[in-house]
Amino acid sequence: MATFVVRRLIASIFIFLAATYLMYILVSLSGDPLEDLRTSTAPNKLQLIEARTMLLHLDVPPYLRYFIWLGGIFGFTGKGFFDLGVTVQNQPVNILLAQAAGSTLQLVTIASLVAIVLGLVVGITTALRQYSGYDYGVTFLSFLFFSLPIFWVAVLLKQYIAIGFNDFLAHPQIVWWLVPLLAVIAGLIWMSIIPGKGLRRLATFGIAAAATAAVLIYMDMSNWFSYPHIGIVGIIITLVGAAFGVTAISTGLRNRKALYASLVVAGVGAALWYPFIYYTTGLPFWGWVGSLVALVGVALGIGWFMGGDDRRPVARTAALVGLVAGAVLSLDRFMQVWDDYAQSGRVKGRPIATIGSGTPGLEGSLWVHGIDLFTHLLLPTIALILISFATYTRYSRASLLEVMNQDYIRTARAKGLTERTVVVRHAFRNALIPIATIVAFDIGGIIGGAVITERVFGWTGMGALFQNGLDHVDPNPVMAFFLVTGSLAILFNLIADLVYAGLDPRIRVS
Amino acid sequence: MRIRRFAAVAATVAVSALVLSGCAAPQSEIVEGSSLSVAWNQPFYSYNQNTSFGNATANANIIYSTNSGFGYYDNTPSWVKDTSFGTYEKISDDPLVVKYTIADGVKWSDGTAVDAADLLLNWVSLSGAENTPNFDSSEFTDPDTGEFTDSFPKDVVFFDSGADPTTGLGLVSKLPEISDDKKSITLTYDSPFVDWELAFTSAGLPAHVVAMHALGIDDPQKAKDALITAIKDNDKTSMAAISSFWNSGFNFTEMPSDTSLVVGDGPYTITDFVADQYVTLTANTNYTGANQPKVQEITVRFITDPLAAVQALQNGEVQVISPQATADVADALAALDVTVIGGYEGTYEHIDLQFDQSKSGNFNDPLVREAFMKVIPRQEIVDKLIKPLQADAEVRNSQVFLPGAEGYDDSVANNGSAAYKDVDIEGAKALLAQANNPNPEVCMLFSSTNPRRANEFLLIQQSAAQAGFNVTDCSSPSWGGLLGTPGAYDASLFGWQSTSLGVTNGPPPTYNSKGINNLNFYSNPEMDKLTDQLGKEFDPAKQIEIEKKIDKLLWDDFYGVTIFQFPAVTAFDQNAISGISPGPLSPTIFWNIWDWTPVTAG
Repeated sequence: MATFVVRRLIASIFIFLAATYLMYILVSLSGDPLEDLRTSTAPNKLQLIEARTMLLHLDVPPYLRYFIWLGGIFGFTGKGFFDLGVTVQNQPVNILLAQAAGSTLQLVTIASLVAIVLGLVVGITTALRQYSGYDYGVTFLSFLFFSLPIFWVAVLLKQYIAIGFNDFLAHPQIVWWLVPLLAVIAGLIWMSIIPGKGLRRLATFGIAAAATAAVLIYMDMSNWFSYPHIGIVGIIITLVGAAFGVTAISTGLRNRKALYASLVVAGVGAALWYPFIYYTTGLPFWGWVGSLVALVGVALGIGWFMGGDDRRPVARTAALVGLVAGAVLSLDRFMQVWDDYAQSGRVKGRPIATIGSGTPGLEGSLWVHGIDLFTHLLLPTIALILISFATYTRYSRASLLEVMNQDYIRTARAKGLTERTVVVRHAFRNALIPIATIVAFDIGGIIGGAVITERVFGWTGMGALFQNGLDHVDPNPVMAFFLVTGSLAILFNLIADLVYAGLDPRIRVS
Repeated sequence: MRIRRFAAVAATVAVSALVLSGCAAPQSEIVEGSSLSVAWNQPFYSYNQNTSFGNATANANIIYSTNSGFGYYDNTPSWVKDTSFGTYEKISDDPLVVKYTIADGVKWSDGTAVDAADLLLNWVSLSGAENTPNFDSSEFTDPDTGEFTDSFPKDVVFFDSGADPTTGLGLVSKLPEISDDKKSITLTYDSPFVDWELAFTSAGLPAHVVAMHALGIDDPQKAKDALITAIKDNDKTSMAAISSFWNSGFNFTEMPSDTSLVVGDGPYTITDFVADQYVTLTANTNYTGANQPKVQEITVRFITDPLAAVQALQNGEVQVISPQATADVADALAALDVTVIGGYEGTYEHIDLQFDQSKSGNFNDPLVREAFMKVIPRQEIVDKLIKPLQADAEVRNSQVFLPGAEGYDDSVANNGSAAYKDVDIEGAKALLAQANNPNPEVCMLFSSTNPRRANEFLLIQQSAAQAGFNVTDCSSPSWGGLLGTPGAYDASLFGWQSTSLGVTNGPPPTYNSKGINNLNFYSNPEMDKLTDQLGKEFDPAKQIEIEKKIDKLLWDDFYGVTIFQFPAVTAFDQNAISGISPGPLSPTIFWNIWDWTPVTAG
């Protein structure tokens, strides 16, 4: 194992060095770094050209200039280890890189997590309902999203979800014909997901459509879009639903202890609603994280005490419900400040943003900043998800289908295990193995792959570093980008191999 | 009795309050709490725009808004003096002596007075007069970062301002005189310099801040005195520290924790700067000048993508945008309820013909040059490539004058450019026949990475082919380095950027046979005489007369053609802001930032 890792790393370093050399030469030869000065009519242009030549060592040919850059990495320039040089604007690349990496991570972390969870869930459900209307629908949509160019998706998202929705918020009244339309669509979706035949399908359709229509009418009547809320009733319904749902997947509803523990946790969550909504104005960020951890801990404890002989699964189920409770309570708390946020002098009633990572000059509590981050992250996150969604759903669907056709699944069914146990315990875990490698690749790639998304959403991160460098024929920032994305690619490739070996007992790393 | 007395007192109080508020009115026109956002396409990165690397419009916009000067370009563009900041007068022509005086009460945003110490620092930095002579800073420069190494001699003075001892403030090598009241400074030029008005236009960076940081002095006044002494005595140790801080102290990528670094003397000050996101400018309470701002707070947001800027405008995140003009932007803006102002930038597209040392040598013959100029489809280029971006775009018809600037219309009427208004295939054929060169080859140099220039090339190629020209492609990604290379090409297609109307930026360096921008080996003794004359002429009216002669001579000599001024587009939400009127020269839309007025919804 250790020899494998060391051997891989050593090989990677040499490949990487060669790649950086190639990259440096390509960027340096991509244009003329003095172009803007050459066409300048400034009287002192010769001095300016000389100054830039000195700053960026343009008098040294790129084939050798690379080694000046490399010397900086190894600390030969007297500025410490890993010195990436300066840009054409005389800004230290190290500082720019730190800022860019921070903002890119902020952008892609949530998008990656949501895409993975959503992709897995949808992929698995489509595999379980293979060749249903739902399956065909998702297949169609995921290929559609996959083939859309992101700059175009971004423009559409901005036009409809930001500008259109903000216009709607000025007079938040749902058009009457939209209610039956959305109700029918929701009914069809649920009907194709939930199995059954004949009357049962019709019932599913009817219930889903009616529920959707009821929610929409309630939202319209209660001015929900101006004052969004879940409220104590909504919290109770959600948490009880979560208690049943989580238990059904985690242990099965037959496990009464798990169900009761989950319901108790749901009750605790509902009881916490009032204090959580009204006494958390000055809560700092870590206080919020701490209280979420505490809530999950309490849920874990409840599960442990109520678990009896079979403590672990019960505690796990209760903790998951605790997590849902924390999330729902926080969501309601964020919604509380929505109206204050949207109507503030900075936002001026147009909350969904099309550019940037925050509203300039906005001051307020943790919740206000959370909402602000949400409104700015929403569009770029959707854009990023739409692209990776397709890969995740297709791979997880294919992987689960393959596993479901294996002999040991038939064996498991033959010995009388419930369908839940077969799918969750036997099939799902094994289906995750190939997904793990894709996720590892994706995390490595997405940090460098958000170049266009960043640009169109004015989210200046690694992509901007890369593009500005290329525009100015300035290799230093491009190399910083390449160093980070390249080493991440190598690292995550290695991690993917190790994870594969860890998950699949048939593979041994040696 | 008592009641009447009370009424009298009340009336007096009321009247004096009215009078007081009336007096106070011109000092504060700000609409309280008003805020606006403007989009700009590049992040701000240095508060010192006079370094060799800090000269960018993104910096100039911010620095212009936060600092005043003796004058500025308006949207005509013409030079406007700001006497509320200070005055200047030319005391003698030869030697050229100019006296600059700061107006009374002008303060930096931290309350320190603006005075001769600031002017002196600006002189010493821009002139490079005290830079250590013959010092090659590259010997002591970190080979990787370009910054100075530890072994950099401590007594070396180097202001990295790109100073040139043959032009501009570089010509003021003698220590200026400071008046006794420390309000004025008198510069004496070594030789006459006609653009003296543009050479020294502001107080530059705050001298007390530079000196306090560089010399470690806490008291602003003492710091200023120490700076004046250091400059007067040419104290190498102190000047080395001052120049080093001047070079590097004002480069930041986010709001510096030390706010003295953003001290300015203009209508606004920087109050927030989030890396790569925005700069917030807030009205400067210590500003006493004539250009009082009307908006309390202006946020300049950095949006690189032109279409993203349009949608941000539509979504109300910004109220003013000035994106790169593209056809997409023009279409998108046309669909919105916003005010769109077409304009143009300082850069103009043109074709230069190589008079000598060309690849084929065809253009050594004036007949071939004339024939080629006749077949360049200038109107078609503008119609097909520029009008989609800007409906009212026009062909530029002068080699010297910026459209709209004083003298342009007169010159265009007389300079002979009318002969090339329309493509004249027959005329060109006749000329080529006369030159006994019916199928001359013309290799054209242009940027191969610029699609617009590639399209222009195709249009020229098609049109010229009809007259027998064989126009070939000499484009290259590193075309800039090839400019002026003997034997490399026959004609070049590129844009000159004008950043000022100064005559020393224009004809002399470009058309004089020894000029640094003379890249096509053009040499005409009469032109040399005219450009030399222009370089010595102080009277603006006479300058224009000489420039008109130069313009005509260029067209008569078949120098080449000008095609168009780069289009610029500005759009703003007329329901949120008024007073926007962009100018062609940096700082484009920001030149009248103090006229921007919030429109309050009724």
